[in-house]
Amino acid sequence: MALFVSGLSHRNAPVELREQLAVDEDKLRELLRDIAAAGVVREVIILSTCNRVEVYAVADVPGEARATTFRRLCRHRGVEPSSVEAALYTYTEGDAVRHAFRVASSLDSMVIGEPQILGQVKDAFALAQSCEAVGPALHSLFTQAFAVAKKVRTETEIARHAVSVSFAAVELAKKIFAGLEGKAVLLVGAGKMSELAARHLVEQGAFPVYVTNRTWARAQEMARTLSGTAVPFDELSTALAAVEIVITSTGAPEPLIGRDMVQRVMHGRRGRPLFFIDIAVPRDVDGAVGSLDDVYCYDIDDLKQVVDANLRERVREAHRAEALIDREVGKFLARQGDVEVIPTIVSLRERLEAIRAGEVKRTLARLPGAPPETREAIEALSTAIVNKILHAPITKLRESSRAGSPRSWLDLVHELFGLTRR
Amino acid sequence: MHQTLLTVAIIGYVVATGLALAYLVQREELLHRLASLATLTAWVLHTVALLTLAFNLGRPPLASMPEAVSVAVWVVVVLEMWIERRSGLSVLGAFVLPVAVVFSMQSTPTRSLIGPTLSGAWLWVHIGLALVGIAALVLNFAGAVMYLLQEHQLRTKRPGTFYYSLPALATLDRLTYRTLALGFPFLTTGLILGVLWAGTAWGSVFTFDPLALSSYVAWAVYAATLAGRATGGWHGRRAAYFAIVGFAVLMLTLGAGLFLPGKHGG
Repeated sequence: MALFVSGLSHRNAPVELREQLAVDEDKLRELLRDIAAAGVVREVIILSTCNRVEVYAVADVPGEARATTFRRLCRHRGVEPSSVEAALYTYTEGDAVRHAFRVASSLDSMVIGEPQILGQVKDAFALAQSCEAVGPALHSLFTQAFAVAKKVRTETEIARHAVSVSFAAVELAKKIFAGLEGKAVLLVGAGKMSELAARHLVEQGAFPVYVTNRTWARAQEMARTLSGTAVPFDELSTALAAVEIVITSTGAPEPLIGRDMVQRVMHGRRGRPLFFIDIAVPRDVDGAVGSLDDVYCYDIDDLKQVVDANLRERVREAHRAEALIDREVGKFLARQGDVEVIPTIVSLRERLEAIRAGEVKRTLARLPGAPPETREAIEALSTAIVNKILHAPITKLRESSRAGSPRSWLDLVHELFGLTRR
Repeated sequence: MHQTLLTVAIIGYVVATGLALAYLVQREELLHRLASLATLTAWVLHTVALLTLAFNLGRPPLASMPEAVSVAVWVVVVLEMWIERRSGLSVLGAFVLPVAVVFSMQSTPTRSLIGPTLSGAWLWVHIGLALVGIAALVLNFAGAVMYLLQEHQLRTKRPGTFYYSLPALATLDRLTYRTLALGFPFLTTGLILGVLWAGTAWGSVFTFDPLALSSYVAWAVYAATLAGRATGGWHGRRAAYFAIVGFAVLMLTLGAGLFLPGKHGG
């Protein structure tokens, strides 16, 4: 019986291949049932996202199970098996455990630390469970993978820093204002991206939201969607005086907001900082504005630069996460190994104890006049012999399980002592 | 006895400084915990050392410049630990502890701070209050340095270590303001007592004493900053620059006390 994971991902398979193999939920149920019916796997979970298709399984003959599983998968999706075969990777035992932990922790993702993958793994697990394809081995592997993913998230900063332009803007705002509660936002121009950034800010407590636009109807519409207030376009500088964060995204060919305008606005603010997020190209805010005291002005390139720095930061954190995962894999295997050998140790003890008890009983029956001390001595002697004999095989079993290869030893012990499998 | 304890305490501060700086760069929670532990341990040893010294001398350990500076360091560390715990400003130690270590390193032989004519409870109060004020202003300085570093990061738009490890500008500005608001009254009261004392003991308020003169200048800088803040406009970068200037003058003051002849030098 062995655990393996086999599949393909964004790392080694082009998107054309991945999308051919990707399976939706209904088809997945069908496929899981089909694979279970083939009788080659004891347990199976299939993870299918746009970046990976992977089979996690426990089987007596992993090679055969893998081949059968993927043949069925290819047949379901109408893909030529030979085209898939080349891109497949397979991990077994400890490496499979590590892979499961890395995937759930988003270390194997295209954007390291992205949060969706954990949900996708959980869904795949739940789906396989509902198809009764999950047994004790995959159950403990996946529940542990969820725990490890959570640990990675809380103990490293892998997912801490924003990797999208709109979230990077929110992060910058927080680095300027600390909390965003009660910070007023002004949207100049009404694009999808500025709406998204405004939504993120509002989620963090920013309030109220003002919207201005050359087209009054458009301003009103956007104000409605954001539960904000529309402001006439010619009152732009009045609005600037009232807010802390400005998001600009108009299609104007020339900057709308110049240095003089902002300087006048800043005069009445008694040093309250003003943060411009200029996502318009060409820019809406004159570059010189950023040189004013207490004014911070980020254009789209600046924001991308922050995103790049954040990505590098995630890679740095990923190294720490890998070390954490190494430790977790070790712990998991040790626990797992013990779980595997414990039934055998118990039945081995029971078997020898039964022999000992039987023999002691027979001996004592032949010594009816023996004083209590003699009886006790016989009990103690026999127990000591049994314990001495058991010591070496039990130690060996525990060691082999920690080393990750208890199977041959388990078989040997069963064979030698005539134990029956439970 | 107290000298050994003090040496061990200073070594403890050095270790804590190293750990705090490592935490600033690495952002590893374990480093922060170790730094906090080292700081607390060193501070406890420092406390015992000061108590032992006071007991041996039979008076507060404030009469010579090294003694006074040691007490100032003790107050600085207390404030650092307190503010860090209260505000969750985990990188504060990296900016405060190096100053504490530099202070601790001053190794001039013991010079009496107080001339033979001077003694009495008011004098201890004068020195003690001034030292608490100076300690708070060390934190004011640390806050200002952190503010300028973070502001620089945000202006150059290239996030580096400080961008990630330092808190928000608003938080740092609040820290510099609060430490100034805390330190200034102590410094003021301490100075007033000193002036009154000078009037009675030296015969004149305006005798030439380098430490006294330099401390008036420092006081004026801090007073101007506080006034500027209160009446609006002065905050952020400008306030941070003033905090650094004020601190520089304060260092001159202590330097004057340590190295220049004068009434404080005895």
